[in-house]
Amino acid sequence: MSTADTRQGLHVKDLEVAYNGVPAVRGVSFEVNAGEAVGLIGPNGAGKSSTLLAIMGATPRSGLVTVHGVDIAGLAPEKVVRTGLALVPEGRHVFTELSVADNLRLGAVARRDKSTFKEALEYVLDLFPILRDFGHRQAGLLSGGQQQQLAIGRALMSDPDILMLDEPSLGLSPTAVDSVFEALDVVRKAGKAVLIVEQRAEFTIAFSNRTYVLHDGVITLSLKPEDAENVDVLTEAYFG
Amino acid sequence: MNQFIQSLVDAISAGAVLGLAALAIGLVFGVIRLANFATGEIITAAAYSLILTWHLGWYVSIPISILVAVGISLLMELAVFSRMRKAGPATLLIASFGLSFLLQRVYELIFGNNVRTAPVASELAQSVEVGGIRIQMLSVTTIVLTAVLLIALQLFLTKTSLGLQLKAAAADFRTARLVGIPAGRVIGLSFALSGILAAAVAFVLTVQSGAVGPDFGVRITILALVGAVIGGIDKISGSLAGGFVVGFATSMLAAWLPEGMTNFKDAFVFVLVIAVLLFKPSGLLIKGRGVVRT
Amino acid sequence: MSNTTSAKATTQSLRWRLGPLWSLVSLLLIVVAATMVTTMFGKSLQVQAQYALVNLVIVVALQLFIGTSGVLSFGHVAFVAMGAWTVGLLTIDPTLKKNLLPDLFPFLMDAQAQWVLAVLIGGLVGGLLALIVAPVLMRLNGLQAGIATFALLGVVNVVLTYWSSIGPRSGQSMVGIPEVLDLKLTMLFALGSIIVAWLFQRTRPSRLLRAAREDGIAAAASGINIVTQRVIVFTVSGVIAGVAGGLFALTNRVVQASQLFVEMTFITLAMLVLGGTLSLSGAVIGTLVFSAIDVMLSNLQSGIDIFGLSLSIPQGTRPIILGLILVLMLMFKATGLTGGREFVWPFRTVRPLPGNPPTNE
Repeated sequence: MSTADTRQGLHVKDLEVAYNGVPAVRGVSFEVNAGEAVGLIGPNGAGKSSTLLAIMGATPRSGLVTVHGVDIAGLAPEKVVRTGLALVPEGRHVFTELSVADNLRLGAVARRDKSTFKEALEYVLDLFPILRDFGHRQAGLLSGGQQQQLAIGRALMSDPDILMLDEPSLGLSPTAVDSVFEALDVVRKAGKAVLIVEQRAEFTIAFSNRTYVLHDGVITLSLKPEDAENVDVLTEAYFG
Repeated sequence: MNQFIQSLVDAISAGAVLGLAALAIGLVFGVIRLANFATGEIITAAAYSLILTWHLGWYVSIPISILVAVGISLLMELAVFSRMRKAGPATLLIASFGLSFLLQRVYELIFGNNVRTAPVASELAQSVEVGGIRIQMLSVTTIVLTAVLLIALQLFLTKTSLGLQLKAAAADFRTARLVGIPAGRVIGLSFALSGILAAAVAFVLTVQSGAVGPDFGVRITILALVGAVIGGIDKISGSLAGGFVVGFATSMLAAWLPEGMTNFKDAFVFVLVIAVLLFKPSGLLIKGRGVVRT
Repeated sequence: MSNTTSAKATTQSLRWRLGPLWSLVSLLLIVVAATMVTTMFGKSLQVQAQYALVNLVIVVALQLFIGTSGVLSFGHVAFVAMGAWTVGLLTIDPTLKKNLLPDLFPFLMDAQAQWVLAVLIGGLVGGLLALIVAPVLMRLNGLQAGIATFALLGVVNVVLTYWSSIGPRSGQSMVGIPEVLDLKLTMLFALGSIIVAWLFQRTRPSRLLRAAREDGIAAAASGINIVTQRVIVFTVSGVIAGVAGGLFALTNRVVQASQLFVEMTFITLAMLVLGGTLSLSGAVIGTLVFSAIDVMLSNLQSGIDIFGLSLSIPQGTRPIILGLILVLMLMFKATGLTGGREFVWPFRTVRPLPGNPPTNE
């Protein structure tokens, strides 16, 4: 077992989140390391979004969250980004009045190494060619799938080591979902750590190196890609 | 006809000044949901600065007034508003109301209740005749000044990284932070810009009146706040438009209301405001009834 | 065992039922006690106390609306102004009226009334204005409501300042209001307004609005017409504010439109915020504490002696300190001194009225 100083990736231990005294996340622990994708699935209200927002420092929480061994407790979201963590929020939230290019530029504000901006931009545009065509178009005019690509591209512009996504398939057509996950696979193979929160179980279980099931604020199950075919396991994951 | 053109120019100028003031309020509101009633006291501070330093020459006096305005604006953020991040818009408004009252009394304490005077840019207070029409120099200057400031602001917001960050934060503050845009920096920036606009407003008003007292900025702030809200304080352009409309309407009413009614011009404007809020609560520039974000 | 549980249940149920009543009684006692204390001191303190009691009625009216509906109103002083105007017009000696207010409508010139009646009519006039504008204004929320109600105040202020057919010529005031209202009578009015507000809290519109304030969606889903309820509450609070205006006129004996505008709005709002917007106790406590501090500061400004030590603060710092108190209160405890709970003295605070204070307005 590696010591705290040399751990890489995202480590979450005993995370707890409560809103107005009502607990949403009740002691969640997991880790996401370089080159792997971890899924977090569960029904509505299970605490999935709360987990991601809490890790980003957007909501108060207790527990231990470390990025590359560094405790990020108490850091504001914009500072958390600078430790190498990036979030693609639920519903994408691109800056609709700004152009695609401006959205990507804004993502780079938190870059640790500003000199490699051009390379990063090229990388993102290669990953999502459609963004290259729409450079000057207003982001609000893009389709749902295109906005999702833009949101991921924007997050990648901050040069994260760990990429977290909150329901990337929400409202997307099957083809759009395919291209998004294809891109995520490329990102994973490039050595980044990917954490995906999703409601769509099958897809996520098949894609991720391992998937946790979150139910009522706690992790109840850990699944492997093979389990995606197993109907019993899936049923238990959702209704157990 | 000539009279109409004269009143039109004056009304556009009045609209411009009020638009700037409303914009000063709208810039900050967009980012932290604070409708800062104390903007009037920023204007007053800049005005005092102009009046008291004008004898040093305009190239000294004007920059100082800008520094004063920006300084007081940032001070408000640091001392009061930065500690109220969790408060809702109504609480923030009342707090700014309190701050405004407080500062007016401070000015009273420091400068006394009587007005201070100085002939600030008195050359501008004349009128020229162009083709049979009397045009106020100040009106033209105001319109030009406003246009320049707006163009500069637009360039800043669209072409610089800081400006883009401000636009993004004004549109969606939470996501902006999640993407890595520093909240404190952007908020400070909005207060600073607000201060610069306030200084411009102070300049125009000071040339107009030549005198400043502790409640110098109150009346314009009331109208500017009202204008920003009816224009749609959610969007930066909405505040500007709303402020312009209120300024324009007030000026036109002052020029064209029948003799016995001119005193009531403010009442007409307020009724107009209520009417707009009734039919378009989100603001004039928002299509349909919109989602009221406050 | 059943005896002790049922005994405990009875005490609890008794406390639950009598608690609010005791809350009312303790508020009334506090007001009476405070007033009585001032009678032991000089006349000037009693005059200040009388103004404080008038403010109390205004703040109670404010709380009745803002605390119940959760909607901001910057316009209540408009109703105060209507009440003050009414009493002025009805009580000024007729010959004086002819000289001071020469352009009045004939029916206003001739109108006279005994002062108590005048105050009540003032209340009705205030309530009438509230009733007229409410269907329009009560559709709005948040910042828009604040602006719209402020616009109402603006309209009333302009009209009262310049329309010489209903008042003095512009720049002049109504003087010569008779000296008939003393401290004790004002106190009775103040106590009455507290009782009325307390009773009104128990009526259906008030309960419905408070429930709606907590959960607007659920309220709308259950078929409550929020606007109608708001109109009712707004009107009642307009009546109380009108009464306060009448009391102001009789206390100040001079009425001018400029006294009934932004500064009065700010002071009364400050008192309410200080005490706590969400409870009637907040209105009372806030006004008393604010007024007490105000009196202390004004004495300190003239210089006082305590145990041989001469203390004073510079002129002009009194309003600054008051403003500071408000701003600091909002920064650190926006729910006010009472935290939105009803106050029961000398026992602990009673559980709050249905609906807990929201953490974010």
